[in-house]
Amino acid sequence: MSILNVNKINPVGGGSTITIAGIASVTSSVTAPSFVGAVTGNVTGNVTGNVTGDATGLSGNPSINTTGIITATTLNYTGNQNLSHRNILINGDFRVAQRGTSSTSSGIHSVDRFGVWHDNTDEAPTQAQVDVASGTTPYTLGFRKALKVTNGNQTSGAGVGDYIWIQNNLEAQDIANSGWNYTSSSSFITLQFWVKSSVAQDFKCYLRSRDGSQMMYPFNTGTLTADTWTKVTKTIPGNSGLTFDNDVNQGFQINIGCFFGDNLTSAATNENAWTAWNSSMRTKVFTPTWYTTNDATFEITGVQLEVGPVATPFEHRSYGDELMRCMRYYETNNHTTYAKNTDGSITSYWSTITSNDSNTLVVSTGIVYKVGKRASPSVTLYNSANTGTANRVNAQGTERTVTATYGGPNALTRIYVSGASSGNYVTYNWEAVSEL
Amino acid sequence: MTTYKLIKDPVFNNVTSVLKDSSYHVPFDPDNTDYQEYLEWAKTNTADPAD
Repeated sequence: MSILNVNKINPVGGGSTITIAGIASVTSSVTAPSFVGAVTGNVTGNVTGNVTGDATGLSGNPSINTTGIITATTLNYTGNQNLSHRNILINGDFRVAQRGTSSTSSGIHSVDRFGVWHDNTDEAPTQAQVDVASGTTPYTLGFRKALKVTNGNQTSGAGVGDYIWIQNNLEAQDIANSGWNYTSSSSFITLQFWVKSSVAQDFKCYLRSRDGSQMMYPFNTGTLTADTWTKVTKTIPGNSGLTFDNDVNQGFQINIGCFFGDNLTSAATNENAWTAWNSSMRTKVFTPTWYTTNDATFEITGVQLEVGPVATPFEHRSYGDELMRCMRYYETNNHTTYAKNTDGSITSYWSTITSNDSNTLVVSTGIVYKVGKRASPSVTLYNSANTGTANRVNAQGTERTVTATYGGPNALTRIYVSGASSGNYVTYNWEAVSEL
Repeated sequence: MTTYKLIKDPVFNNVTSVLKDSSYHVPFDPDNTDYQEYLEWAKTNTADPAD
C-alpha cells in the first residue's frame, strides 16, 4: 500500500472540482462546501445546502426524530396508524354527560361511555364530571373536563371483596375493524391517559378481551405524585390468542382501578403481557392507601386508544361529533347538562291517547332516535311533572303507569298506559339505554 | 334485588319484553345487555307473569 501525504490538492487550471476515482473509504472527516455522489456514512454536521438526489437511506426502516417541523408537498403515508379517527374511544375527554354530572350509583351514571363500578364499600364513592383546572398541563393541551372519583369513608378498611374502578367497554367490531392486526405480536395498539390522585401510590389497571378464550393485559400507572397530573402511556402488542368478533357486543374493556380487593388480585399476576383471563388475578396486589383514605380523589382525562406503537396527540373532536357517538349507547330528551331551553326547562314530549279495538290506551310517540342504537334499547319514561319515578307519564294532569312500549333500535313508536282515557293528552320524558 | 315482570304487547297479545325493577322495558333483543342479564337471572329464577 502506498501512502500520499499532502496538505492541499488544488484543481487543475483554476477549476472547482476534484474527482477521486475508486476511493474505498475515508477514516476521518471530510470537509467540503458540497458533495457530488452518494453519502453512505453518517452525516453528523448540519446540512444547510440542498439535497437534490434521493435520500435512499430513508427507504429502509429508519426513524426520524426531530423537534423541528417537517414540511412536504405530498405525504405518501404507508403506515397502519390512522391519520383521522385515531381515537377508538368515545368521550375520552369526558365532555359529554347526558345523565348528569354526579352520582353515587355504580355503573355509568355521570359521563357517557365510562362507568365507575363499586361494591362492598362502607360509603359509596362519588363519580363526577369536573373541570380541569386552568394552568395545569392537561388544560393547556385542550382538556376542560375530567372524570373524578371521590372515595367514601371506608371505615372497615380494605375488604377482600371491595372494589372501585373505572371501566370503558368497546364493541368487538370496533376492534376487529380498527386496523390492529391483533393476533400479531409485532402489531400494536397504544393507550394513553392523564391521571391525578390525591394519594401518592401506583394504581393497577387491566385490559380484557371478551370474545373466544378471554384474555387480560394487566399493567400499572407507575407511582403517582400526589395531586399532580401524570400522563400514562402503554403500548400493547397483539397476541395469537386474541379474538374479536365482528359484532356489536362487548369485545374489549379498559379497566382503571382505584382499588381492587385481594379477591381480585394476585402477587403472581404478570404485568405487561397477555394472559388467559382470570377474575381473581386481574392485577397485582393493590396498595390500599387511596381506598382507606376518606375523600381521596382520583381523576382521569384524555383517554385515547389508537392503533400503532406511538401515542399521538389526543384527537380533539367537536362536542357535536362526540355527543352523536355517545347517543349510539344512550339517548334522552332530558339532556341534563346542555340541551335545556333558555329558561332552564326541558322540552317534554306531548302526545294524545287513542284507543284501539281491544280498548287499550295507545300513545303514538313519534320518537325517532337521533342516532340508531347499538341494539334495541331498554326504555323508560318519566312523568314530565315528576321525574323522580320511572315508568310513568302525566296523563291529563294525573300520573299513570306505562304498561308496555314498542320500538326498536331506531325509534320508540308507541307506548301503552293504564287508567287514563282516550283523548287525554300525555306528557313525558324518555331515555333509551343500549350500553355494553 | 333486581325484579322482572314479563310484558305483553297489548295489540299482538304476545310477550315481547320484560320490565326490570319496575322501571325499564327491556326488549327481547339478544344484543341488549339488560336482556342478556335477564337470561342469566332466569336460569335460576322466574319472572312475574304478564298481566
